[in-house]
Amino acid sequence: MVQLRPRASRAPASAEAMVDEGQPASEEEEAEHGLLLGQPSSGAAAEPLEEDEEGDDEFDDEAPEELTFASAQAEAREEERRVRETVRRDKTLLKEKRKRREELFIEQKKRKLLPDTILEKLTTASQTNIKKSPGKAKEVNLQKKNEDCEKGNDSKKVKVQKVQSVSQNKSYLAVRLKDQDLRDSRQQAAQAFIHNSLYGPGTNRTTVNKFLSLANKRLPVKRAAVQFLNNAWGIQKKQNAKRFKRRWMVRKMKTKK
Amino acid sequence: MGEFKVHRVRFFNYVPSGIRCVAYNNQSNRLAVSRTDGTVEIYNLSANYFQEKFFPGHESRATEALCWAEGQRLFSAGLNGEIMEYDLQALNIKYAMDAFGGPIWSMAASPSGSQLLVGCEDGSVKLFQITPDKIQFERNFDRQKSSAVHKMIVDRQYMGASKRKCIVWGVAFLSDGTVISVDSAGKVQFWDSATGTLVKSHLIANADVQSIAVADQEDSFVVGTAEGTVFHFQLVPVTSNSNEKQWVRTKPFQHHTHDVRTVAHSPTALISGGTDTHLVIRPLMEKVEVKNYDAALRKITFPHRCLISCSKKRQLLLFQFAHHLELWRLGSTVATGKNGDTLPLSKNADHLLHLKTKGPENIICSCISPCGSWIAYSTVSRFFLYRLNYEHDNISLKRVSKMPAFLRCALQILFSEDSTKLFVASNQGALHIVQLSGGSFKHLHAFQPQSGTVEAMCLLAVSPDGHWLAASGTSAGVHVYDVKQLKLHCTVPAYNFPVTAMAIAPNTNNLVIAHSDQQVFEYSIPDKQYTDWSRTVQKQGFHHLWLQRDTPITHISFHPKRPMHILLHDAYMFCIIDKSLPLPNDKTLLYNPFPPTNESDVVRRRTAHAFKISKIYKPLLFMDLLDERTLVAVERPLDDIIAQLPPPIKKKKFGT
Repeated sequence: MVQLRPRASRAPASAEAMVDEGQPASEEEEAEHGLLLGQPSSGAAAEPLEEDEEGDDEFDDEAPEELTFASAQAEAREEERRVRETVRRDKTLLKEKRKRREELFIEQKKRKLLPDTILEKLTTASQTNIKKSPGKAKEVNLQKKNEDCEKGNDSKKVKVQKVQSVSQNKSYLAVRLKDQDLRDSRQQAAQAFIHNSLYGPGTNRTTVNKFLSLANKRLPVKRAAVQFLNNAWGIQKKQNAKRFKRRWMVRKMKTKK
Repeated sequence: MGEFKVHRVRFFNYVPSGIRCVAYNNQSNRLAVSRTDGTVEIYNLSANYFQEKFFPGHESRATEALCWAEGQRLFSAGLNGEIMEYDLQALNIKYAMDAFGGPIWSMAASPSGSQLLVGCEDGSVKLFQITPDKIQFERNFDRQKSSAVHKMIVDRQYMGASKRKCIVWGVAFLSDGTVISVDSAGKVQFWDSATGTLVKSHLIANADVQSIAVADQEDSFVVGTAEGTVFHFQLVPVTSNSNEKQWVRTKPFQHHTHDVRTVAHSPTALISGGTDTHLVIRPLMEKVEVKNYDAALRKITFPHRCLISCSKKRQLLLFQFAHHLELWRLGSTVATGKNGDTLPLSKNADHLLHLKTKGPENIICSCISPCGSWIAYSTVSRFFLYRLNYEHDNISLKRVSKMPAFLRCALQILFSEDSTKLFVASNQGALHIVQLSGGSFKHLHAFQPQSGTVEAMCLLAVSPDGHWLAASGTSAGVHVYDVKQLKLHCTVPAYNFPVTAMAIAPNTNNLVIAHSDQQVFEYSIPDKQYTDWSRTVQKQGFHHLWLQRDTPITHISFHPKRPMHILLHDAYMFCIIDKSLPLPNDKTLLYNPFPPTNESDVVRRRTAHAFKISKIYKPLLFMDLLDERTLVAVERPLDDIIAQLPPPIKKKKFGT
């Protein structure tokens, strides 16, 4: 017959379940464990714990401790409360962190944009489109794209923009961007398309050096490539060597004297 | 002839820009060539293929299409969305009209020449009416209705399902309803426009076929590939006596090393140009009536005007690039040697100055004064004048500000020999004389154009004593002005070929003019008539090999101590004409290098003639006499230009 180990009683099983939740072992729990395994005792009186848990085998013939349901329940409730508290604390901490972050982002964005007062002024100025005299120290008239006039034609639809610079004792200018930017970007996109289709990936291009060296390779007496040396190789090394040589020469001169 | 020490200069890093579009005008036999930096050049094909006009480039211009319309009007359209008309008289841009459709990819003129069609990025084709002053927007076609367009449209269609999208680079629409397309897969395809089906497909290259041009009679067309090959297609009958015709690829030409981005078909020749910057004109043998030297291949590589000026006193060279100027001092040597030796330099050539121009425009012309203290250059909108100071080995530059308005756009700038006067030929036709003194200048006089017509390139020449100023450029001939009395002195009779170079000899004040058909005239300014030597030459005629040279004479200079010598050069030779020796007739050997010394004196005397030609230094961009015993020769080997071009297509050759 197999000798079975004495089983623990039912009531303290709930306490054990609480223990198994993975809470950090505290003195009470260990004491409970000791209570479970060791001598039966009453209430919350904490008996000195048995360090050796393996004393929990056939050698220990004592009956399990008696634990009232109430105390165990109280313990369980305590545990639950503690867990809830920690979770709540964590949530609030996270919330605060997120809040702080968002505020930081808003501030940065605000810093990027112009202050509200300037924006207001700009919108009103563009509506009225007033031309102020240059004598005023605060506002200055600008004509964008002066180089258009240099094209030498006056009948072209010159995109002249009379822009106001809003400055309160400061010297910065606000310029309104028109479709010159759009035109530039389209032109660049078109040029990039052509360049890509001619020289981009998938085209069968070779370097000029290889192209010119083809003839050299097929001569009866084969010759080297047109640009055989790569002078850009090891520039740093060559510079270091030159410096070292200079210093060594100086040292040699000194020791000679 | 004398012994000279020659400064052989190869540090002029001249790289021309690639050719992007060509347009041929049948009525005037002129060719307009547009380059990638925005320069537009006009070549006169009947004047020995001479570049007679050019419009300087601009950085923001990316020309994609060029075409002639009625009345000799030239239009160009580019990726900046603008259509520009060029004023061929005043050599500037009349106006630029925005087509409001985004980047313009193609342009064509109607056969009558009164309407202009542009194909824009947004898919629309816009029709413009050409009025005497400007162009006017008329209609807007949607993408579907583009069948109303005849001649050529370039599309940006994506067709085919290969690894890389196939781009159609060129489309030609014939009057019988055939549409020919060339694409980046190397195919030339014939489509039937009525049914919309593919009729025939020719695979002619491994790389893109980038350009197509159809002849006026529509019986032949030419295509250019990215490998540099140009193919000629002709409509030939199927059998010798049948009416049915078909398109056959007849001739391949390999004259380019890089992509051929543009081709044109004139009635007698095929014209091609591309990234390797050569302009190749290949006359077709079956179309040429007289089979003489005119039917040979012409390859235009080097510029037809002088980009280098020289200060003889300080041995300085000023190089003109598109956006900057470079000033170099020549090296010096103390060694001596015999004929043909290379002497070692005791002092290397020095790069003194790198002067960048402000703004996106190209430099039109530049000059350095003979004493080396003034540099002047001009763009389309501004004129710059700088004063140089030399202290020991350092050089300092100071700009003269506040240029007057009339000096805005100069076609040619020249300093007088004593560097006190500046002569500026403006593009309005006026010739200005400005007095320079110390650090300031004062406008002395302006010679206005005679009858109000100004055309062609303007060349200036001033006599070394500062008395006479010669200016070419009007159709009335070369005008000679008296600088001291500020009036017109005389006019050399007009000649039907443009002037390529001019110079006035010291002491004798003979004006030597070289024309594009290789004729050289000598005109005596004090006597107001051609010199006797010039009349003799004209009566006898030049040697046939002299007249068959390809490249024009770009610079003439004289020896200070030998009035009988004229030094002139073109791209592949330089020649000293000795007026005291007899002239060669067609039977003598034109190019006879120094005969070996063991030949008898009699033989040497018999073969000696006035034209001493040397082909040692080539290709020559500039050659001048610095002093009595020194020459400077600026060479530009073709390999150095090719080494700086964009990458070509890979060609697989067996054994490599």
